[in-house]
Amino acid sequence: MDSQARLACHLCGQEHRPIHLEPGEKAVCVRCEAVLAQGTRLGPDTALVFSITGLIFSLPAALLPFISAGKLGDERISFLFTGVWSLWDGGMGPLAFLVFLCGGLLPFALLATLAVLHASSRLGWQNDDLRFLFRVARVLQHWAIPEVQVLAILVALMKLGSLVEVTIGPGFWCYCAMALSLLIAQHSFDFDSANQVPSTNGSDAAASH
Amino acid sequence: MKNFPILARFKNPSTAAALALTAAIMLVPANLLPVLSTETSGHNRSDTIFSGTVELWRQGLWVLAIIVFTASIIIPVLKLVGLGWLLLNARRGAAVDSRRLTRIYAVLDFIGRWSMLDVFLAAFLTGLVQFGEFSTVVARGGIVAFAAAVVLTVLATRAFDPRILWRTASPS
Repeated sequence: MDSQARLACHLCGQEHRPIHLEPGEKAVCVRCEAVLAQGTRLGPDTALVFSITGLIFSLPAALLPFISAGKLGDERISFLFTGVWSLWDGGMGPLAFLVFLCGGLLPFALLATLAVLHASSRLGWQNDDLRFLFRVARVLQHWAIPEVQVLAILVALMKLGSLVEVTIGPGFWCYCAMALSLLIAQHSFDFDSANQVPSTNGSDAAASH
Repeated sequence: MKNFPILARFKNPSTAAALALTAAIMLVPANLLPVLSTETSGHNRSDTIFSGTVELWRQGLWVLAIIVFTASIIIPVLKLVGLGWLLLNARRGAAVDSRRLTRIYAVLDFIGRWSMLDVFLAAFLTGLVQFGEFSTVVARGGIVAFAAAVVLTVLATRAFDPRILWRTASPS
């Protein structure tokens, strides 16, 4: 009996035997009813495809102009990390670092981790390093929050819209695409990649539509 | 938690309570100190989180005011109150409504990230609005306290292990 092979509910710790999910099916914890996994409607490689897509988008997101604002003939173009630099220059190092982590580095790291995890499971590899990566992904997902930055920028744009002329640059669209890819990649996590060894013990996860 | 012994030790109710308490204390300067200073054509104003929200409302940007108010004021408070309640329940060892408490924990865990909104907002505005004497935005001390409070709240939620809500329930 391999205890590692069971999938523990991330909330209540109840252990389950991994089952195969049909598209659109949800696996629910038998004890606390938390959603453990959801069968993706887009095919088995969804998570892999979207984590790679996100990685590709993150490069132009970091390099291309984000937002440009003009006031009285003066134009200013901001990039993804312009705010981080301004905070740093203003003597707010820790805050700059936090924004850099949550909005830039960690989403990238999470995408890379998910890509490696799913690519390995696709190739049929399994070892302890992958379990370690799986835990890394679990920790990162609480700190990688590009979608919050997207909302913050939209709020800022609507606020500034009446005062200055703002134009959205390609960098921001790439960043939005990256954030969306990360969300899809995170939510298409299925049993097969979350837990690569089928088990013979533990209760079955309840599946429902 | 075999691979992360430090994390296993970190996950206990006293750590969660200490972090939540520190976060609650940090929310005081976060709400009293100004978070942003705006200078437009020689006219200077400093805003706290609350006065910034009121200003949005006054300008007729109601949707924005509601979004910012929810993310910066309602969510941090709700999260700390909810966490305190879960800790009290876990302490009492009453596992009658474990399922409901676990669901509350999942909700708290999900909404927490949105309180980072104001931090990103301040960072973005200081980066973009730098028009010399016409208009500049500068981040102030309050936003540092606020960011610290948010990070501490997230850590407190991580330190709370919802499995303790099920400890007295029979293992199936």
